[in-house]
Amino acid sequence: MMLNTLFRRFILATALAASASLAIPSARAADGRNDLEKAAIAVLRSDAAEADKALACKQIAIFGSADAVPDLAALLDNEKLHSWARTGLEAIPGPEADGALRAAAATLSGNLLVGTINSLGVRKDAGALAVLTQRLADRDPDVASAAAVALGHLGTLPAISALKSALPRANGAVQSAIAEGCIYAAEELLAAGKASDAAALYDEVRKAPVPAQRKLEATRGAILARGDDAAPLLIEQLQSPEQSLFRLGLTTAREVKQGKCDAALVAELPKLPAARAALLLRALADRKSPAAVEALIAAAGKGGKETRLAALESLGAAGNAKALAVLLEGAVDADADLARAATASISSLSGTEVNSEIKKRLSNAQGKLLPMLLELVGQRRIDAIPPALAAVDSQDPATRAAALAALGNIVDVERLPVLVSQVVKPRDETDAANAKKALLTAAIRMPDREACSSAVVAPLSSAPAAAKQVLLETLGAVGGTKALTAVAAAAKNGDDAQKDVASRLLGEWMTPDAAPVLLDLSKTLAEDKYRGRAIRGFIRIARQFKLEQSERAKMALEAFSAAKTAAEKKLVLEVARRYPDMEMLKLAAKAGADDELKPESRIAAAAIVKKLPEESAEAYALAKGLGLEKVSLEIVKATYGSGDRQKDVTDVVRKNAGSLPLIYIAGNGFNAVFGGDPAPSAVKHLVIQYTIDGQPGEAMIEENGTIVLATP
Amino acid sequence: MPFSRPASTIPGPARTSRRGLLKTGLSLSAAAIAPTVIPGSALGLDGTIPPSERVVLGGIGIGNRGTYDLGCFLEQQDVQFTAICDVKENRRVGIKKMADEKYGNDSCAMYQDFRELLDRNDIDAVLIATGPNWHTTASVYAAKAGKDIYCEKPCSKNIAQSLLLRDTIRRTGRVFQAGTQRRNLPHFAFACELARTGRLGKMKRVYAHPAGMTASTSGWLPAENEPPKEVVDWNMYLGPAAWRPFNAKLLDGFNFEKGGGLVGGGVLEWGSHCVDLCQWAVNDCPPPVEYAPPVDGQIVCKYVDGVELIFREKDWIPLGSCPVRFEGEDGWVEAGDSGKLVLSSPELLAGRTVEEIGGYPATFHVRDFLDCVKTRGKPKGNADAACNAHIACHAANVALFLGRPVKFDNATNAFVDDVEANRLRSEALREPWRI
Repeated sequence: MMLNTLFRRFILATALAASASLAIPSARAADGRNDLEKAAIAVLRSDAAEADKALACKQIAIFGSADAVPDLAALLDNEKLHSWARTGLEAIPGPEADGALRAAAATLSGNLLVGTINSLGVRKDAGALAVLTQRLADRDPDVASAAAVALGHLGTLPAISALKSALPRANGAVQSAIAEGCIYAAEELLAAGKASDAAALYDEVRKAPVPAQRKLEATRGAILARGDDAAPLLIEQLQSPEQSLFRLGLTTAREVKQGKCDAALVAELPKLPAARAALLLRALADRKSPAAVEALIAAAGKGGKETRLAALESLGAAGNAKALAVLLEGAVDADADLARAATASISSLSGTEVNSEIKKRLSNAQGKLLPMLLELVGQRRIDAIPPALAAVDSQDPATRAAALAALGNIVDVERLPVLVSQVVKPRDETDAANAKKALLTAAIRMPDREACSSAVVAPLSSAPAAAKQVLLETLGAVGGTKALTAVAAAAKNGDDAQKDVASRLLGEWMTPDAAPVLLDLSKTLAEDKYRGRAIRGFIRIARQFKLEQSERAKMALEAFSAAKTAAEKKLVLEVARRYPDMEMLKLAAKAGADDELKPESRIAAAAIVKKLPEESAEAYALAKGLGLEKVSLEIVKATYGSGDRQKDVTDVVRKNAGSLPLIYIAGNGFNAVFGGDPAPSAVKHLVIQYTIDGQPGEAMIEENGTIVLATP
Repeated sequence: MPFSRPASTIPGPARTSRRGLLKTGLSLSAAAIAPTVIPGSALGLDGTIPPSERVVLGGIGIGNRGTYDLGCFLEQQDVQFTAICDVKENRRVGIKKMADEKYGNDSCAMYQDFRELLDRNDIDAVLIATGPNWHTTASVYAAKAGKDIYCEKPCSKNIAQSLLLRDTIRRTGRVFQAGTQRRNLPHFAFACELARTGRLGKMKRVYAHPAGMTASTSGWLPAENEPPKEVVDWNMYLGPAAWRPFNAKLLDGFNFEKGGGLVGGGVLEWGSHCVDLCQWAVNDCPPPVEYAPPVDGQIVCKYVDGVELIFREKDWIPLGSCPVRFEGEDGWVEAGDSGKLVLSSPELLAGRTVEEIGGYPATFHVRDFLDCVKTRGKPKGNADAACNAHIACHAANVALFLGRPVKFDNATNAFVDDVEANRLRSEALREPWRI
């Protein structure tokens, strides 16, 4: 059956392309499902290979019904197909599958029995109580353990009763599994709203001589099941001399619901050793309750370093405006760790109230606090331009640095000249560096870049040389018409230093409107270094930017004419190869007249002809001019590698072959285009067996060489 | 404060035989003691981390990716890597060599059965990088043995496993970090923060890149002669996966049984990273409730509030692999593995300097995990977050597989009135494995 074949492909190993035809129809009629199921059952009943039967099981798992149960059940004693069958049985609803698994659980042994019991647990088959209870006493500890866990998944009162009664008598792995089963059952009780019953069952497990990890799990459950009354048991863990219980307390403190527990946890803080209190503070921070935040604020301001540090670090995520005072105090603390923690937390404190508070404090700030608040103004983008402008004239270098950084982030276009003037006339080298950074930061975020450029261009002619470079760099980052005009003028008429900066900036310009400027410079600049930058920048725009194809072809032709070196012309041929059409092919043909460009011309021509939307006599004639005659090419086989380490690359080569005896494969070298290096460090070759016009031939091409196939 | 060692109890089927330590010749108890001669540095006298503060780590299934992860762990001064388990001999030996060279001793123990490694009371945490087939099962066993877990992604093979893993981590009180290291890279974190904190306005769409949306599965290949168990333990390699004969081509754990014999491919392989980031961008809310099959290279899913999660194969800004894009009513952001961000407006930077770290290193993610092992906090790639992201990927794969839309109910964790889709939520584990 077609669908069956497709399904098999889908499930078993074949790479697929997504398409509606390969997917199973959504509105398949019940009859269709029946057909699938019947076919799968027939496979199970036949002497088909194991792989086919495995597939049939999986198919039944999705589409099968009770009709398939006997045939799946028949595989439960098959060691190879057992779990394939159980995948079907776990999925099929109804008593038939339950019955089959129960029956098998009564007769199988070893791993097959364990698997069967596991499936009963997955199905939560309450009717399996008897067989599971019986298996709970099995001499095989694996079987007994599986039964214990399955009973836990049932979660019924009789199942719980069986587990409780077995718990004290068991030992080792089985006892651990019984505890695990009890915990699952307690979860079922809790989910059913029977919190006190769940708590009682958890308590029973945590008080039993079960392994430590089971105790931890039961203790967690017991705490959560207690709801509003969880605090005493939770606090007991935090006070426990056992580290594992204390750590469980930390985890569970993050889970218990807010309310009574918060007060209890906060009250516990002063009673704990500093190291434990610090960890509890971090847990409280994750709770983010009002009581927890108040406790963090209190702990951040006083006490030992360990707890202060924990509180200061935690307030960033958990705190609010109320935490600002203590954090600002901490930020100027003599202890570098505390100061660092407080500073980091202030920058991540959320809320507009925090910003208002920072702005308010800025007006009266002095000493270390002033640069810190300025830094925060910048980091948080607080609208506090006047005090930041005033601070630019401070005598304190740290304050000036913070003010400039802040202005970079907050200044508006009207007051941008302040930063420009700091670039033009800095107080010292440090201020110059800070002003440069601030101006760049400010300029690139200005919504009106033409207005921004006006402010930057204004002092350009009169600025000192170093400042001119900074202003040009800034214009390069801003972009737009005014910036382009100013940078172009510098490239054309500036001194050598300006030409250097400006030609570099134009070569990296981010919009295609730089193209005419670059073409002009490529024709007019005398210095070869800057002329080369200009033509390469022009070619870059043709290669990288989104353009109409006709415009791109025109640019390629202009570039080819303006280019002076073979390397530049080869870059133009790369553009032609990337964007194929007849005009680009003509360009390649023209370039081929130059022997130095012939190899690249031929590659470009082959790539273009292959990608042209339709066959064209004119195209083949142009290719013929480059020595590439139209042929009937068949790729028989292609391998890539070295010695016995070969990779079959027939499909890739075939896909890229056209009607010319030169094959271009786009990509970064053979290893990349052929999906990896089959023989690292070895000399590799691509070997292609082919026919041209029916005649067989073979080519051996060095790694990354041009793939040219000789006519046999 | 001394860093305590949780008591160990391995649940699940008992082993019929104990292979014990391989090659080291040490007993279990002896292996817990790392250097024979304790240098001053081990006591913290030279400012290094004293043993009581170290996280003792074991490795389970450490192949290519795992070796990289392990390197990130070994960079951390408070980590002591002490044991390797792998079903492949060459990897066991290779990792032991790596660890022993790091510590200048011969202490790294080797195991073929991970349950024996989990039996060791001195081990606090495990790095699991087995390949997707084992990720959930090994993580559940580790959690039940009282170990904290750093587990590579994809963490689960289906929806049921995603939920079971989450519930087990909660129940056992363990720290779990999925190998979704991009959550700890500044530019991705910032992009998510922009979306999460409303700076992009009301969210409209989040985009993930499922490179190779349609996919192959590992399948059933012709039988070959099985190598000796000591060289490759095929039975343990299969583990919870349904039986099939040995074939060397299936020994690539990275690709074996990804998506549980369904699809998996790009949607799960990359989705467990980029959908995970999308989930973070929408505040780690429950996964989408509607999933459509692919149309023109896109799988469109909808969250309950109407925000769309779109798996999109093309039209990405070239920012490297694993790109994500978040669109709100007031702006958008796109980020990728180059470490770079593209914003609809530079205003969105809001004075922040976002460090550009390309190449998706896991160092910060490992550090986040180790810190949480000590504080018992939740790491960024915690099990709850991983569960939601993985369910989104699995549900999208179900729509892809069935070739029709499906609806998912986060309250019941079931597809709505859809028997076939619901039967694709899980599959049986091969005996004796149980989670």
